[in-house]
Amino acid sequence: MLKKLLSVVLATAMTVMLLAGCGGSSNSGDSSDSSGNSGSSESEAVTLTVLAGQSTTDAGIEDMIDEALAEKYPEITLEWECVDWGNDFQPKMQQYMQSGLPDIMIGKAQDVATYAPQGILGEIDSEYVDRGLDAAKENVTIDGATYGLVYNALYQGVYYNKTMFEENGWDIPETIEDLQAIIDDCNSKEITPFASHMVDTWSIGNVTMQFAMNDVFNTNETWGDEFRAGTTSFSDSEEMQTAYNYNELIYDNTFAETFSLEQTECDAKMVMGEAAMKVSGSWSIQNFLDIDEEFDFGIFPFPNQTSDAKLIFEPNITIMTSKETEHQDAINKVLDLLTSDEELAVEILDYTKTASMLEGVTPTFTNPSQEDIDKYAAEDRIVDVTLGNNQLVWGGFQEENAKDIAAWLQGDMTFEDCLKASDGRVDASSAE
Amino acid sequence: MKRKNLMEKKMFRQYLLLVLPGFVIFTIGLIIPLVMAFRYSLTDWDGMSAEKIFVGLENYINLFQDKEFLDAWWFTIRFTIGNTVIQNIAALLFALALDSGIKAQKFYRTILFIPCLVSAVIVGFVWLKMFSNVLPEVNEVFGTSINFLLFGEKRTVLTGLLIANNWQWIGYWMLIYLAGLQSVPSDLYEAAKVDGAGPIKRFFNVTIPMLAPSITICVVGITTGSLKVYDLLVSSTKGGPGRASTSVIYQTYTTAINGRQYGYGSAMSVTLVVVLLLVALIQVRGLKKKEVQA
Repeated sequence: MLKKLLSVVLATAMTVMLLAGCGGSSNSGDSSDSSGNSGSSESEAVTLTVLAGQSTTDAGIEDMIDEALAEKYPEITLEWECVDWGNDFQPKMQQYMQSGLPDIMIGKAQDVATYAPQGILGEIDSEYVDRGLDAAKENVTIDGATYGLVYNALYQGVYYNKTMFEENGWDIPETIEDLQAIIDDCNSKEITPFASHMVDTWSIGNVTMQFAMNDVFNTNETWGDEFRAGTTSFSDSEEMQTAYNYNELIYDNTFAETFSLEQTECDAKMVMGEAAMKVSGSWSIQNFLDIDEEFDFGIFPFPNQTSDAKLIFEPNITIMTSKETEHQDAINKVLDLLTSDEELAVEILDYTKTASMLEGVTPTFTNPSQEDIDKYAAEDRIVDVTLGNNQLVWGGFQEENAKDIAAWLQGDMTFEDCLKASDGRVDASSAE
Repeated sequence: MKRKNLMEKKMFRQYLLLVLPGFVIFTIGLIIPLVMAFRYSLTDWDGMSAEKIFVGLENYINLFQDKEFLDAWWFTIRFTIGNTVIQNIAALLFALALDSGIKAQKFYRTILFIPCLVSAVIVGFVWLKMFSNVLPEVNEVFGTSINFLLFGEKRTVLTGLLIANNWQWIGYWMLIYLAGLQSVPSDLYEAAKVDGAGPIKRFFNVTIPMLAPSITICVVGITTGSLKVYDLLVSSTKGGPGRASTSVIYQTYTTAINGRQYGYGSAMSVTLVVVLLLVALIQVRGLKKKEVQA
């Protein structure tokens, strides 16, 4: 009798625990008022869920935002879920599209093109959008509605060691021949021309899009659309093949251990003068200055075949909101804070070492490459990479192509097969 | 008779009641997702849109023409065979050494067991640093030129991963073998000795047959574990260089999630489940036949 009773109690307890666990997990993605009501008034405490797809530079900004929010809108609490943008943002979004989106999502400008057509993003009020630069709206506006608030921007190109360039009498290269001359001189002096970390496949994908921006999209702004229409392909396009081939130029002139080297270590080698240049983006600045705040570096666009290469500009932190949220008022307060609190904005920009996309906000950190950026901006030689990223999406396309490029560089695949593999992925090239 | 039937019925109800929680967990956690995965594998669903067009067996047909998927299988099979052979032999040898009455047995057992307490993600990261930073320093110190950059090349990446994986798991399987060895009755060895059997004969004719249940557990565990490798790769090679260390699960994940081909990715996962079941079934049946009772 006792045994029977015990078994019934055990079975009931386990079933109850199981059901309680299932019930608990279904609520975990939801936002909720601590009061238990979904409609919020001024004084009611509100918890907003936030999915933050972060770049390597961004980890830590959530604490800054929390602190500023607690001061201005203490009734709002943000429940952060910070993930790596490159690897985990898309999987998380896919998961939440089934179970209900977080109130706020932080990704990149190109995410708007992926998720807005699904009808899941809320429109951002013009009151907040208008506090940003005009350039910030262009690629996050679809059919007149803006779905993303671009907060900061990165620049991409070739970072170079200024001291090394001065000591060796190298001028900023404008043509591929100029660049080759520097590479040759580096090799003759046993200097590694390029720092690179190809173990991170994303870095191969990133530089390939940089090359494509200047050699492909520079002359044909709709190349990606034409690729899907079947009028061009990777196997047919000389320009795209040139862009792919530049990877070989880097690989032949970089560290032997590039496929075993991670970004931080690679950046450290660059700072310590073990390489003259690095094709990268502003995310390296944080490392450069953390390792040596006196490191003197500049940036120039990777030269293209037509010698009119532009510096790459990438809208980075982009705030999106859920269309189905029950807390629009609270979300608007967060947007208000982010777009109006100059002190917070400067703190974030100084920390991430990035450029501002808000009107009248300028970071105060010393960016040795700023002089070069200003020069290219004055010459109208800056191009937004979202143009390319929207046409040839990262997840499932650029990312996969980068793996093929790595295989080709290592001699495991022919160049032709590498191009064919990219062509074979045409259906995955667009978010729609 | 009637009373016996009543008793049996009561017992049966009691068993059912006890099985219920496990059955519910198993159904929610395994059966339902498996059925759903099979359902998705018959569609072209991208994982985001509401539209899920039925495509029949098209995804399964395409799988067999997908070079990346076949390459992922080839890597997974080599990784599995390597692990199964190395881990079983090494774990058994370590277990024999520890069972031989050496001093500080507990210390060695602990040292060998510790790596399996560490997450595979950490193990991957540790060995990435070992191969790219720590071991190359050995070259610097001794003036040698050994290639330690095992994760950096297609021809060496499998070796590097086998080292990392075996380092982590040998201690775990060693404990299984050690438990098996300690349960072998000593009179069997004595009888063999009396019959004139030397150490090698005793090992093959007494130890191995008596260890058959442990061998079954280890072989099946290592094989199925290796077929499912993912976390080790995420933090070490990321499936590279190129696709040189992309396992079936890694390929499934990148296809279904990053590549937004949920239906196709589901077909990959269903294929893996079928293979896992078949491999486990064949191994268990084959090895069970060789098991003997003391």
